[in-house]
Amino acid sequence: MNISKMIKKIDEFFTLSPKKQDVKKKKLLKIIEKLNDKKSTIQKEIKKSTEKKEKEKLKDELAAVKELIKKASKN
Amino acid sequence: MLKKVTLPTLFLLFAYFIISNDNAKVIIAGIAIFLVGMYFMENGFKLFSGGTLEKILEKSTNTILKSLTTGFIATSIVQSSSLTSIIMISFLSAGLIELTQAIGVIFGSNLGSTTTAWIIAYFGLKVKISIYAMPMIIFGVVLRFSKEIKYKGLGDVLLGLGFIFLGISYMKEGFETLKDSIDLAAYSIEGYTGVLIYIIIGAIITVIIQSSAATMAIVITALAGGQILYISALALAVGANLGTTITAIMAAMTSNENGKRLAAAHLIFNAITGVLTFIFIYQLSSFVDVVASFIGIEQNNYILKLALFHTIFNLIGIIIISPFIFIIVKFLMTVFIPKVRSSSKPKFLNESVIQIPESAIFALRNETINLYNKSLKAIIHAMNLHREDIFSKKNIKDVISVSNKRIDTNIDKIYNDKLKSLYSEIIRYTSLSQEPMNTQERIVLGSLKSAARKIIKSVKEIKELQKNINIFSRGKNTYIKEEYNYLREQLAYTLREIQIIRKDNLDEIDRLTKIEALRIKINKFDLIENEKIDDLIRTNKISARMATSLINDSSFATHICIRFVEIATIIWIKDEEIKEIGEEREY
Repeated sequence: MNISKMIKKIDEFFTLSPKKQDVKKKKLLKIIEKLNDKKSTIQKEIKKSTEKKEKEKLKDELAAVKELIKKASKN
Repeated sequence: MLKKVTLPTLFLLFAYFIISNDNAKVIIAGIAIFLVGMYFMENGFKLFSGGTLEKILEKSTNTILKSLTTGFIATSIVQSSSLTSIIMISFLSAGLIELTQAIGVIFGSNLGSTTTAWIIAYFGLKVKISIYAMPMIIFGVVLRFSKEIKYKGLGDVLLGLGFIFLGISYMKEGFETLKDSIDLAAYSIEGYTGVLIYIIIGAIITVIIQSSAATMAIVITALAGGQILYISALALAVGANLGTTITAIMAAMTSNENGKRLAAAHLIFNAITGVLTFIFIYQLSSFVDVVASFIGIEQNNYILKLALFHTIFNLIGIIIISPFIFIIVKFLMTVFIPKVRSSSKPKFLNESVIQIPESAIFALRNETINLYNKSLKAIIHAMNLHREDIFSKKNIKDVISVSNKRIDTNIDKIYNDKLKSLYSEIIRYTSLSQEPMNTQERIVLGSLKSAARKIIKSVKEIKELQKNINIFSRGKNTYIKEEYNYLREQLAYTLREIQIIRKDNLDEIDRLTKIEALRIKINKFDLIENEKIDDLIRTNKISARMATSLINDSSFATHICIRFVEIATIIWIKDEEIKEIGEEREY
């Protein structure tokens, strides 16, 4: 192992490892995936729904989930 | 006065004894180093497990057999029955497990703590463990410099093990050299009187040094050094078991009824086992001989036979007492009845778990929910509404139009009598519990503290709103009445939605979506932005004074709603990454 590699390893040890950051990124992608699933579920429910009030509430939730996907993607 | 003189005198005498007696110095230093090792190891496991231990203890206790096994395995690994029992008390207090399960874990943990004797007997005396102690301490210290909490924890575990090994080696050395100057075994008293005296000595040593593992280490090294007889060592082991119960009882004195019940169950177990072992100690000793020869332990290996005896009498205790766990539970439920708590007293802030990050956060979250529930009642009544109406499926507009009767709610009095001291306790507990926490846990703690602050701030703001709700909702001007009913509607809608969000059947993503939808809706609430007030003034429907009040109150209402959304995010979304997406601005 050369010196720079060793320094990098020591640096990783004493600071937060990129591995940990990678785990965080993966988790975020999983959350976005779940939010997308939620989005399609709401869209299906809107199509099915006949009651006006319920439809409105679902539309609010759809707007919310879209906003959340946007926020999560920024991260 | 007496205390001021007695304690320093005793301390000086103790210091003189240590300085003047070389052997005692080595033995006592060994005990001290051993105890430091136990402290580091316990602390290390708390950090290293990162809540895993709590999760295992929570999930693997649904039957008595599982509880017993889990208690045994957990304590064998972490080598601390007190850590296991503290976690159990916190789970009981939080209602995560039943008393029956917790007692099962404690019984299993008693058996688990006997593995310490095996470790000391096997490795501590056979191998020159001080050779391993030094590298462990060195690597332990190096690992402690890491920013990764798991490495830090591992460092503490290594450091702890190193100190434990070093402590044992000092004790061993001390007892070996003591043999040349004095033979303590010569003073042994024979028969049941001797056994009883050694049981009491074992219990006293354990109470003083607060660790049965350390007592067992002393007993084993003293036995190895030939300073005590085998039968006396057996009696000391029984005493150590009893002593550890006294330690648990002392800890439970400041605990709630759950802690007391568990400590009492521990006492019942150890007292019955202790009495039975005392009566049948000679028969048990012979039985140990039989088992020892069966599993290949030499007849003159008294150290391993002591470890075997320690395990066997605890195992017999479990076999005899476990079938009666349900009866013990029934009895303890009638003896320790929960006190009728003043509503201003905290329900979940258990002092005994303050040093365990996961459990302390759990307790704080529950207490913040308690503060929320209490404040919710005051806020809803201040709006002249009832919880059963808001949380029903009734149309909110209809509920508000018929709920104009004033509900006598003195917010100042409620704050002073019920909320202030609860809030202060949350702040105090937060400050005290953060010391052993890592950065992530401190962030969670900080947000819970901020949720409690937001709750209190909302209660104070509703007081301002309440005054005008009472004036205008029942006044003659229908326009201003309508506007104030609209403010009540916003608040009621927000609280109803949060009540849905906190339901158990929702997952974190569902909660986050509903919270975000509520946040978007609230942003549309503000009257100031939609120019409605200007229109009312222009058309002389409300006076300028009314308009000023309305502008202020509208702002209060919107702020309360936004704050409640933030509170809900903090309390009911536990996943930090999910929470991070939902969090927006501070109010």
